[in-house]
Order: sequence, then C-alpha cells, then structure tokens
Amino acid sequence: MNISLAWRNIWRNKTRSFIIMTSVAIGLFAGIFVLALYEGMINNRVRTVIDTEVGHLQIHHKQFKEDYDPKFSMNEQQVINSLKSFHQIKYLSTRTVTFGMLSTTTGSTHVRINGITNNAENNTSKLKDKIKEGKELSEGKKNGVLIGKKLADKMKLKLNNKIVLTFTDKDNNLTAGAFRIVGIYQSDNTPLDELNVYVSKNVLNNYLNLPQNSCNEIAILLHDDKDLQTTKEEIQKKFPELAIETWKETSPETNLMVGYVDEFSIIYVIIIMIALAFGIINTMLMSVLERTREIGMLTALGMNRKKVFLLILSETVLLTFVGVPLGILASWLATIYFSKAGIDISSFSEAAMSGFGFSSIIYPEFPSDSLPKVLIIIIITALVSALFPSLKAIKLQPADALRQ
Amino acid sequence: MKTVIDAHNISKTFNKKSIPVLAVKNVHLHLEKGEFVALVGPSGSGKTTLLNLIGGLDKPDQGNILINGIDITKLSANELIDFRLHNIGFVFQSFNLIPVLTAKENVELIMQLQGRGKREIKERVQTLFQEVGLSDKLNSRPAQLSGGQQQRVAVARALASKPQFVLADEPTANLDSKSAANLLDIMTKLNQEENMTFIFSTHDQRVIERARRVITLVDGEVNSDTGTYLELNHGNSLI
Repeated sequence: MNISLAWRNIWRNKTRSFIIMTSVAIGLFAGIFVLALYEGMINNRVRTVIDTEVGHLQIHHKQFKEDYDPKFSMNEQQVINSLKSFHQIKYLSTRTVTFGMLSTTTGSTHVRINGITNNAENNTSKLKDKIKEGKELSEGKKNGVLIGKKLADKMKLKLNNKIVLTFTDKDNNLTAGAFRIVGIYQSDNTPLDELNVYVSKNVLNNYLNLPQNSCNEIAILLHDDKDLQTTKEEIQKKFPELAIETWKETSPETNLMVGYVDEFSIIYVIIIMIALAFGIINTMLMSVLERTREIGMLTALGMNRKKVFLLILSETVLLTFVGVPLGILASWLATIYFSKAGIDISSFSEAAMSGFGFSSIIYPEFPSDSLPKVLIIIIITALVSALFPSLKAIKLQPADALRQ
Repeated sequence: MKTVIDAHNISKTFNKKSIPVLAVKNVHLHLEKGEFVALVGPSGSGKTTLLNLIGGLDKPDQGNILINGIDITKLSANELIDFRLHNIGFVFQSFNLIPVLTAKENVELIMQLQGRGKREIKERVQTLFQEVGLSDKLNSRPAQLSGGQQQRVAVARALASKPQFVLADEPTANLDSKSAANLLDIMTKLNQEENMTFIFSTHDQRVIERARRVITLVDGEVNSDTGTYLELNHGNSLI
C-alpha cells in the first residue's frame, strides 16, 4: 500500500510533479550528453593519436629517446623481417628522426625532421590525407619537404618556397640541406603541425650519414586495439635490446586525459544533480507542508514514523525516477543522431580544440560504461533529497498537525 | 462493567513560554465499556484537548490516563502510535480521508498497518461498509462522496482496527441534518448492538440528545458529569 499510496500522492499536484520529472529528465539528458560528448571527444582523440600520429606501438633504439641522437638507429630490414610473423600487425612504417633548425630568409624555428617513405607513412599516419596544398613527397624529386600549415603561417611560407634544414649528423657534424616545399599539410593537432616536417627517408639518411637500411623509429598499427599489450610484450621478447612503447607511453598526455575525463564528466553530472536536488527538496517539502494535517492524521491513526518516513522517501524516489527513463531515452536518441551528424564547433573554438589535438567536429558516443555510475548518483540524489522532507514529516506531532 | 478509560487529575497547559493557556484542569474521568458519552461545553472549554489526551495524541502535563489498565502517559512516542493503532478509533470533524485512496482503501489502510491478512481485511471491509450503509461506494474516491458518506467511511475506518473505543471530535459539525441523523443512527446501533464505546466532543444538540452520559466542560474543568441530556437539563441547551 505504501508504494501505491506514494505513487498516487505524487500525482496530486500534476503540474508540480510534471515540472520536477521534466527537470530530472532534462538534467539527466544534459549529464549523459556531456558524458557522451567527452566520451566521443576522447575516443576520437585516442583514434587520432593511434591512427594518424604515433600508431599503436613504436620501436626505438633504447638510447634514442634520451637525446634523439640519430646515431642510435636500427637495422630496419632485420626488424621488419622478424615482425612479419606477427599477424596482429596491420601496417608499419620506418622513420629516420632528428631535431634541427628550419631557416628562411626572414627567420628560423626549431623542428622535428621526419624521414619517411610515402606508402608506408600513408598507411600508418595517413599523411597523404592531411595534405591541403601541393602533393606528397616524390621519390624522383630530391629534397622536397612537407610542412604543417601552422608552421607555414608562422614562418610565412608558401608552396615551392625554399627552406634550409640544419641539424647534426650521426657523427655530430653540423650539416644543412636546402629543401623545397612540395606540400602543406594540416591535422587536428596544431602543435604537431608546427613541429613536424617530413622529408624523404633516403635523403635524410644521406645527410645523417646513416645507411639506407637504418631507421630510428618504427611505427606499428595493429588490426585490433585489444592486442596492444600482448603484442608489445611479444615484440619486446624478440628484441630485448630495443625499446617498445605503446601509444600510452608515446603520448602520455592522451593516456592521462583518458584516465581523467571519466572522473571530470562524473563531476559534471554530480553538479547537475546537486542543482536538481534543491528542486526536488523544495517540491517534496511543499508537498509535506501541504499535507501536514493528513500526515498528522495518519500518525494519529497508527502509521508509525518508520512508515511515514518510507512513504515520503518512496514519493521522492518515484518522483525522481519517473524522469530517469525519459532522460536516458532522450540522451540516447540525441547521441545516436549526433554520432552520425557530428557537432561542428569550429565556428567558435576550432583553434582551441586543435591546440589540444582535438577535432572541431565532435561525434558523441553513448556512455554505456558510465551509466551505472550515473544511476547510482541519481539514487543518492533522490535519497538525499528525500531526507529533509521525510524528517520534517516524522517530526510532526499528530495533535499539532490536526489543529492546522 | 469493564473500565475502558480511567483518567486521574489530568491537566494540560499550552503556550507555557509566552501566555500560558490552561486547556484542561485537574480532570478525573472514568468510562466503562459500552458507554455513549458526549463531551460538551463552549468553544475553548477544552473538549478537543481532553479527547486528544484520552486518545494519546497529546501528553498531559500532569496526571495519568489508564486505558485497559495501561498508563498511556508513560508510553514512548512509538509505543503510543502502536497503542492507538490497536486500541483507539478516531473520527474527525473534517473526515480526514486520504483523497487519493478509494473508500475501501481508506479503511483497508488501517488493517494493513495492523498487519492483518488479505482475506480478513476483505471480509471486514465488506462487513463495515454494510454497517455504515455504503456497500455500493467501495471504490469511490472521497471527492465522489457527500459529506455524510465521507463521515460514514471515517466511522468504518475508525472501527476497522477493532478498537476499545472510538473518539469522535465534532463528527456532525460539517454535516446536514439528514446526514447527521443517519450517522448518529449508525453509531447508536453500533453502540447498542456491538457494545462499542463512543466518546464525542460536540456542540451539536442532536448528538447530545442521543448521548447516555453528558460531561460538561467549562474552562478546562468538568462542570458536570451526569446522565442523559433530558435528565441533566430538562430540555434547556447545555452549550
């Protein structure tokens, strides 16, 4: 009877109950949609990191990353041959990497120079897809260079301009080469666009005095994300002298974001629910005060305090939970729609988003994993909101209440 | 005769911290099983306060109230609620039915609180609604019933718990003559046939006329406690 009575009680003032239920639904929709946005953003960022920046795994000489000294190289043929037996590997590309100075007639800047081979790089980092002007590096034309749009804007460079790249070779001799800009690329990550320039690996190896079959970095893309750790361990077993890193180690800031985004999103939901709790408390308190006489009568007739407490508690929980399915449904439908259509925020925050490596088009993903946490937060909200009105109800003295 | 209520020297003061109002003063009351008692007196004479004290809704500042030998002034708040549930029936001036429940559910609620079985509840509801003449209104909401009908449901609810006695605070105050007479007929019948004890607080001459004992309160004190209305007053108004 208590639940049935509670259910009927919440429909006494339909407008007021409807407003609270709608508030819960909208609050929940907002909370879940924020989670979906974050989930979409972070998953998109992880995919970008893996598919277009660092790959699933990277292999280096153990000392290479200490100073990025090109002399710490690997025999790429030897490594590639051994990796052929790994069926979980989808693509791999070899790179020669060094840091140096890009100079023009008007200025200079620090860059990371990546020596690449076209086809392999297009598979692992989709470099070709990022080219906005010009074309990819050509084997026939020597000393072509691809630079990022951000770098081009900063250094006021255009297609076919000449630049000079200065760096030290493997024997620590200062060397320099003139390169002509054959293409300008643009990714979702402007800091990387500003830093990375791409030249042909053969050309860079010549400048660095490295054999043609040497490289400093091998980037690997796997068929399945799930194989990340096991593949790393297997490769490490095969090449104990080399450093094998997953994308989480190569891009620790992304891994950190993945770890924190869930907690931040839950904090947003909690803030929304705190605001809602005040609405629920207000509604239930009004409901209790309006029914002072009736609650006094129930106590007079013999309904004990525990039952009165449970009655008000049930009313609050029911009032809260009627809005829950509506909120979940609305957020699910919105997520489905926007996961296909995307939310383009480029008009007001493209620079800010790409500054942190995020795409300006967000594709939300329904946060199924976080849903139990959200439901627990709602249950806690309902119970906490019920506490004050319920305590108020059980404190009523029947004789006083009946006099009102 | 079995003693149902035995109140000794009970007093109750309100507004102790500001302007004290002595609502009930040194009242002694002794009621037997099957009595049909009217508490009368002018407004503010302490009728409702005395009913609340007897019904365990309020505690006296002094004195003892024994119901079936149990001193209810010594019971804790929770014990008192449980005591009321099993021993006392209440009928209020403004009916106080729960508007979202049907007439039947209003009566069932009390028996459910007592933890009675479904079959027993069903049978008792049928009996009670027959007694108050509302067998055809079981599934009506209070808003669909007249004032008289609502008060009859309230009587059924008061009797549902099989109480020792029923306290009725101005039960006919909001009823027209016909409904009041009908309600009083039912109560009189229950008193005579089932020996149910009724204690009314009332201004209503019609109730007083039916009472077999009339207690007059003035300024919180028992002014007179004697036989029937006619015996007491020879036709003059008591209130």
